[in-house]
Amino acid sequence: MRLHEHEAARFFQQAGVPVPPFAVARTADEAVAALGQVGLPVVLKAQVLVGSRGKHGGILLASTPEEVREKAAALLAKTVRGLAVESVMVAKAVPIARELYVGVTVDAVAGAVTVILGTAGGIDVETVAKEQPEALFRKSVVPPAELRGHEGRALAREAGFRGDLMVKIADVLVALYRVFRKSDALIAEVNPLAVTADEALWAVDAVLEVDDSALFRHPEMPTDTAARIEHPLERAAKQIGVSYVDLDGDIAIISSGAGLGMATMDVVGQRLKPANFLETGGGITEELMYKTTSLVLQKPGLRGLLINLYGGINPIHEGAKGIVRVLKEQQVTFPVVAKALGNRQEETWATLKEAGVIIVTDITTEAAVDALCAALGAVH
Amino acid sequence: MSILLNKTTRVLVQGITGKIGQAQTKWMKEYGTTIVAGVTPGRGGATVEGVPVFDGVAEAVKETGAEASVFFVPARAVKDTVFETLEAGIKLVVVVTEHVPVHDTMEMRAEARKVGATLLGPTTPGILTVGEAKMGIIPGNLFPKVGGRAGVISRSGTLAYEVGGILAKAGTAPSTVVGMGADPVVLTDLADILKFFAADPGTDFVTIVGEVGGIQEELAADYIAKDFKKPVIAYIAGRNTPEGKRMGHAGAIVQRGMGSVQSKVAALEKAGALIAKIPAEIGTLARRLSGASA
Repeated sequence: MRLHEHEAARFFQQAGVPVPPFAVARTADEAVAALGQVGLPVVLKAQVLVGSRGKHGGILLASTPEEVREKAAALLAKTVRGLAVESVMVAKAVPIARELYVGVTVDAVAGAVTVILGTAGGIDVETVAKEQPEALFRKSVVPPAELRGHEGRALAREAGFRGDLMVKIADVLVALYRVFRKSDALIAEVNPLAVTADEALWAVDAVLEVDDSALFRHPEMPTDTAARIEHPLERAAKQIGVSYVDLDGDIAIISSGAGLGMATMDVVGQRLKPANFLETGGGITEELMYKTTSLVLQKPGLRGLLINLYGGINPIHEGAKGIVRVLKEQQVTFPVVAKALGNRQEETWATLKEAGVIIVTDITTEAAVDALCAALGAVH
Repeated sequence: MSILLNKTTRVLVQGITGKIGQAQTKWMKEYGTTIVAGVTPGRGGATVEGVPVFDGVAEAVKETGAEASVFFVPARAVKDTVFETLEAGIKLVVVVTEHVPVHDTMEMRAEARKVGATLLGPTTPGILTVGEAKMGIIPGNLFPKVGGRAGVISRSGTLAYEVGGILAKAGTAPSTVVGMGADPVVLTDLADILKFFAADPGTDFVTIVGEVGGIQEELAADYIAKDFKKPVIAYIAGRNTPEGKRMGHAGAIVQRGMGSVQSKVAALEKAGALIAKIPAEIGTLARRLSGASA
């Protein structure tokens, strides 16, 4: 789950990362009222969960209360990269002399944590990695170890910093690592970390993405994980407990595994166009399949449905009952093809056949797509 | 022949008294697996499918000589249980559990490397040595009765079943099928699993079933190019994955320009692997390889 900037900034602040005074406003009036605690001039930042807000007009500077009112109202009325702006962060503007980058992230290669200090900040870190890799300095830490102060200072020294500034940067690195570990984050990032003329540091942005699998032990985190998903069907899927990704075709897909789902997309994609990716995970029940089938059928303009299931951990014979209930209730007329193999496959086939589902018993997904193409040909 | 697991391996089932643990213990036993013990804290003294249940791993190992463990343990308990299992001296652990926090996985991975244990997962269907034994949830009835000489390593579960079937249909039955897990951080790298197959005289070639996300396939390609002498077939799922979308598995995401099928295919192809664009092509390539080696 990606947090809003103001939520991340709060956690960063609690961990000891220097964050300029800020408040959150849902109306222009609230933005003006926030000036009492924040002070002018301010930066008004649209709270939407996408990157490059600056480039897309989502970040504005304001120096007077009138300007704050006008610009906050403008931001709250607009969409940034397709997302409606529901709140604005009002943050004290700091005079920036130089911009750095600090980030802590999971390094899948090492299976460890990487702490990154960049001497060029304010731009996308991937762009820096490509165009000036010499500006990035990394330190790998294997949890449960902490990033120690001397390790932070060594990294700052390696990046060319000396004196008080080196010590202050190290403090930010240590604090950011702490918040990363404490919140079970996948990424904690400040870009840019602003350096003022008198060598004070300020985190003028805050990115924190938390591992969904760890939310059970984080009561301090927002609980509206599903509500943050923009696409209505993807959001509904999250609420059911399955994964849905919307695609632009007209053949609906249900699969009982992520790899199988991607492979099904690959095979369908050779001759037809997948409408979605959907995988059930290992928790199939009659009810789950009822909800899942109803969900994928909500997309308008479908021409066919391909069901690809394996009964390993999943009771597919139970799932079949849920599928059949939907097909009967909705009186689906387009071809539905199912390949369902594994434990209790014969029962599964018998249940599905009863609702007119075309059963494929060959193990290849290609055979299922062949059957679907043949059925689609017969419809035309 | 096989790697990691055969019918004499003495297997412990953790979380054996849960609904899934019980059902899977039955399937594993029926397949021929030597299951000697189960562990569920607080349920010591019970029996599941004729298997004695213990409160802790150390006791189970002492009483039964268990040497490998498969997990049907809730995600929140996995880390603690892995540490307990490694401390009891077990060197092969299969973590079937999904949704394990990635910070926990990093700690388990470090510990496994320190003690020299092989941990598979999280989010793995497990291991199946055809015709002998299985640890995990791979359905045995999808595979031929007798094992062959094709190794399989898969990031995904259900797709591994399909590929196993395709290989069998091509007349090149699998030897051992290994699920390596589908999380962003895995407990054992793809390249390390390849090393087991390199050392197995009963495996002629290996099929890698990868998917978008991460960099495991690219790292394995480096190893294949340098040191792996057997032929490799590779299929990477998710050619049409939109950037930034997580495709079901926590690790299956093309993000920040990394993890695309194209990058993995390019690396593996350069290392000499034969690339299947769709799963069925694995059968064609396997037939060609077995023809060439016959």
